[in-house]
Amino acid sequence: MELSIIFEYAPMLLQGLQLTIVISIGGIICSLTLGSVLVALSRSGIRALVILVRVYTEIILGIPVLVLLYLIYFVLPEVGIRFAEIPTGLLTLTLYYSPYMAEIIRGAINAIPTGQIEAARTVGMSNFQIAKRIMVPQALGLAIPPLTGICIGLVKDSALLSIISVHEFAYQTKQAVARTFAPFELWAFVALCYWAILSIWEVVMRKVERRVTRYRETG
Amino acid sequence: MFNTELFFNSIPILASAAVVTFKLFVCCVCLSLMFGTLSVMLQLSNNRCGYWLSRTYVSLMRGTPLLVQLFVVFFGLPLLGIKGQAFLAAALAIGLNSGAYTTEILRAGIQNVPVGHLEAATSIGMSRLRTWTRVVFPQAFTVSLPALTNEFTIVLKSTPLASVVAVTELTYAGVIIQARAFSAIEIFLPIAIGYIAIALSFTQLARWLERRLRDFHT
Repeated sequence: MELSIIFEYAPMLLQGLQLTIVISIGGIICSLTLGSVLVALSRSGIRALVILVRVYTEIILGIPVLVLLYLIYFVLPEVGIRFAEIPTGLLTLTLYYSPYMAEIIRGAINAIPTGQIEAARTVGMSNFQIAKRIMVPQALGLAIPPLTGICIGLVKDSALLSIISVHEFAYQTKQAVARTFAPFELWAFVALCYWAILSIWEVVMRKVERRVTRYRETG
Repeated sequence: MFNTELFFNSIPILASAAVVTFKLFVCCVCLSLMFGTLSVMLQLSNNRCGYWLSRTYVSLMRGTPLLVQLFVVFFGLPLLGIKGQAFLAAALAIGLNSGAYTTEILRAGIQNVPVGHLEAATSIGMSRLRTWTRVVFPQAFTVSLPALTNEFTIVLKSTPLASVVAVTELTYAGVIIQARAFSAIEIFLPIAIGYIAIALSFTQLARWLERRLRDFHT
């Protein structure tokens, strides 16, 4: 065990970690957005759109992320659509995770009793007011725990982008391993880093959830 | 744009690689169930040490990327004297990873069994082992089945990761052919469709099993 190697290569690894964080945040924002769009489309009542979303979801549920990554990285350029590495990675994460996000958002919205929305309408609330006062506060509390899980999945899968040489955490580790021949120490260290960050994130989100669902305690 | 010759030529190679994927999948599922059962027994035992061991295992597996776990196992095995076993490393890593999720699923299933059933079993004189095999496990398994199916679909979708340690499963075979032929669409499109088809048929099979078990229990 040569732990000094870790300190020696720490700056290089940290650089990768930065990119991992940036890509993860980007991926989470993009897939949440696309996920919301998917929910809106499947609630639009237009049959063709509903079926389209359904087929897309089924495809994503059956396809491995790595295969999706290769489809975008190798196959799309052959039909004339070319992206750089980082956009390819972001696109993969977005396309892969948005149906899962959509599923969670849809579940949270459906869990709100229709009676409440009807009641809000009878007291003369506008659609915007209903969304802001009735739906979002309740749906948020329901959606945060599963969304946290999915986001953790997204952060973990961003390590796959090292395969198409996006210079993120795992890629930088591979580089360090190639130079030092100390693979076990480095990979174990990186695993601990991921674990620490994701555990903190989980704790923070649990706090956020408790804050958002305060209304349940007083009622 | 679509080279049919390449497509047909690569089918035999892809088919034999699909067999490797299937073997890997079966190994991973068995390991996952094994680790999951062991870890859930530790967690529900009254041993504090075992409880924390199991909790740490679950948290560690859920908090780190599978890719990183795979490399840790792959480079960790030689330190234990096992060298050059890429398939073993991949199966072990995916099995360990999935075992953590299986633990949680089985725990929910077991806690779902009413305490009254346990008490009833004890009062008619069943031994502890018999209570587990006849009362707790069959019920817990039936309740957990949908979640387990989900988890094993994820395991199937994790098997392509074995390609990074050069196990020639379906995806890696695709990468190799692609690198030689300089053409991807004829290879990755069938592979993607193959995975979707396998995942769909697996879910259907599990649905069928679920229905059978439900009829059996009621």
